[in-house]
Amino acid sequence: MEQDAASVILQERTAAQVREIAQADILVGIPSFNNAATIGHVVKAVIAGLAKYFPDQRAILVNSDGGSTDGTTEAVASASVDLGPMLITDRQSLLHRIITPYPGIPGKGSAFRTVFEVARRLNVKACAVVDADVRSITPEWIELLLQPVLNEGFDYVAPYYLRHKYDGTITNSIVYPLTRALYGVQIRQPIGGDFGFSGKLVGHYVDKHVWESDVARFGIDIWMTTEAVALGARVCQSFLGAKIHDPKDPAADLSAMLTQVMGAVFALMEEHHRVWPFIQGSNPVPLFGFQYEVGVEPVNVNVDRMIASFRQGLADLRPIWEVMLAPETLQALAATEGTPAHGFHISDELWAKTVFDCAAAFHRRVLNREHLIKAMTALYLGRTASFVVETQGLTTREAEDCIERLGTVFERLKPYLLDRWGAAEEASP
Amino acid sequence: MKEFWDSALLEPLATVGTRIVQFLPNLLAAFVILAVGWPLAWALGRGVERGLRMLGVDHLADRIGLNAVLTRGGLKPDPCHFIGRTLYWGLLVLTIIASLGALDVTPINQFAASLLSYIPHLITAGMILIAGLFLSNFVARATLITAVNANFRPATTAAGLAKWGVLLVALAMALEQLGIARNIVVVGFGIVFGGVVLALALAFGLGATNLAKEFLERQFGKSGARAKDDLTHL
Repeated sequence: MEQDAASVILQERTAAQVREIAQADILVGIPSFNNAATIGHVVKAVIAGLAKYFPDQRAILVNSDGGSTDGTTEAVASASVDLGPMLITDRQSLLHRIITPYPGIPGKGSAFRTVFEVARRLNVKACAVVDADVRSITPEWIELLLQPVLNEGFDYVAPYYLRHKYDGTITNSIVYPLTRALYGVQIRQPIGGDFGFSGKLVGHYVDKHVWESDVARFGIDIWMTTEAVALGARVCQSFLGAKIHDPKDPAADLSAMLTQVMGAVFALMEEHHRVWPFIQGSNPVPLFGFQYEVGVEPVNVNVDRMIASFRQGLADLRPIWEVMLAPETLQALAATEGTPAHGFHISDELWAKTVFDCAAAFHRRVLNREHLIKAMTALYLGRTASFVVETQGLTTREAEDCIERLGTVFERLKPYLLDRWGAAEEASP
Repeated sequence: MKEFWDSALLEPLATVGTRIVQFLPNLLAAFVILAVGWPLAWALGRGVERGLRMLGVDHLADRIGLNAVLTRGGLKPDPCHFIGRTLYWGLLVLTIIASLGALDVTPINQFAASLLSYIPHLITAGMILIAGLFLSNFVARATLITAVNANFRPATTAAGLAKWGVLLVALAMALEQLGIARNIVVVGFGIVFGGVVLALALAFGLGATNLAKEFLERQFGKSGARAKDDLTHL
């Protein structure tokens, strides 16, 4: 049976390679698709990190590729580091590289599945995954993602980046406060993309039957984090400094992005509905690494455009929002009509209720789920505009305090979510 | 003279009388079928409706989102009532046809037979219309959301056009199924649909040049306004 499943997850050539290696202590996985420009640097950082911090461990690097045509796999195969200038003189264990295409549905989740399967077969103690487009990765990232697992007994290491106050606004305004209020853990970057985890957790991930679902395409990051916290695994964070990655078109189909992330978050709420309703408040999560301030690149924001999008939503999507939101929530949102841009404000309380209403509406299937989440786009843009207006003159640190405050508001209003969600449950036999 | 009266008046009257007497059982049978079938149809319709309610089909429909779909389709969100009424009307039509058949009158028999053979077409047309109604609402909502998210100002107009486009197709298909003026329907639909597309193309080309330019530039990332917004969401 295991042989059958394995033959699906791993190609025969890869499986043979894994059999030949037989066992490893640590594994670093890099999912990729047409990342030739950046993956060489990532591989070098991984090689240097493993050499510098884990010279006596048997390590494997796995590149799980989605069929790149730009020479990504060649870049992985040819990347090498001269360890001399880096003052690394320890005798090194041989670093095996496995470069394999992943089978299944195209997406980061399927790429991770292959990494997990290799990790499980090699019975690794610790595993890390890093994005192939990160330009700011250093060898220290590898230490910070693996050491808490190997030496401190943690099961899951989430990244902690320094980011501009307007970088990662879906994370800041929805995913972080919602995850914190639901599961009671203050993981600042639940969908960071670079993680460390134990071999035990790898087994749990592989055994979950989610690989034919949307998790295989997208939402793998929030899925991994949520599974870890819902399972009660020991979770920590590692300070990785700034995260600079390949620029993506900022508005490249925002609604598709929201669908991916929020679809996964809401679906996980349903899956873990026996866990999160009983959690109150939240606890800080241990943070490893030396924290320092870094200059982050300025971010230009077009507030007027975001407010215009929100107002168009208010005018055109009202029949849909009426189905999704509680009447009081919609009324309060509608009250922002006519407010000048500099005074535009959606309060933390109102935003928390809006997100909770959407979660309950998703649960009750009052609309086609994809439509529901896409209809959140204008709401999200309104809240983002409000956040920008509110924090315009603040430093990134001060804006961070606002995000923390939002997290506490989500926690405080959790009974509202329970009420909305519970009402939905009562409505069903 | 008596012979004349017998052959010219009494014989036809006797024949008519005989025919009436022969027809009476048929009429009685038709009446009985109608008298039994109608209340039975009503009772069955009501019974099924109440039975479904007792089984909690309303809650199930609410849970699986069927009620929401019915509401958005412009229908009463009461599937038990809908099923009960559909059953009642279906049985009533069958009763009427059976009742007409019991009369055993050739023209009425032909009419009943043609009515019976028309029922599948009616059902198909009805299903096409219901499916079209749901599909048009779905397409309209998807269009509306996509248009609003793309900052397309006449979003509601676009959604309305999408809805009526789908409804027109459904209506044309339903009429075609019913065999009503088949050629006129096809030609009429072609003219209307072609006209709408042409009008849209002209309106977009002439009246919304800037909008189209802005939209295309946004799609291909050449807009100055876009470049000023570096916000990253994830």
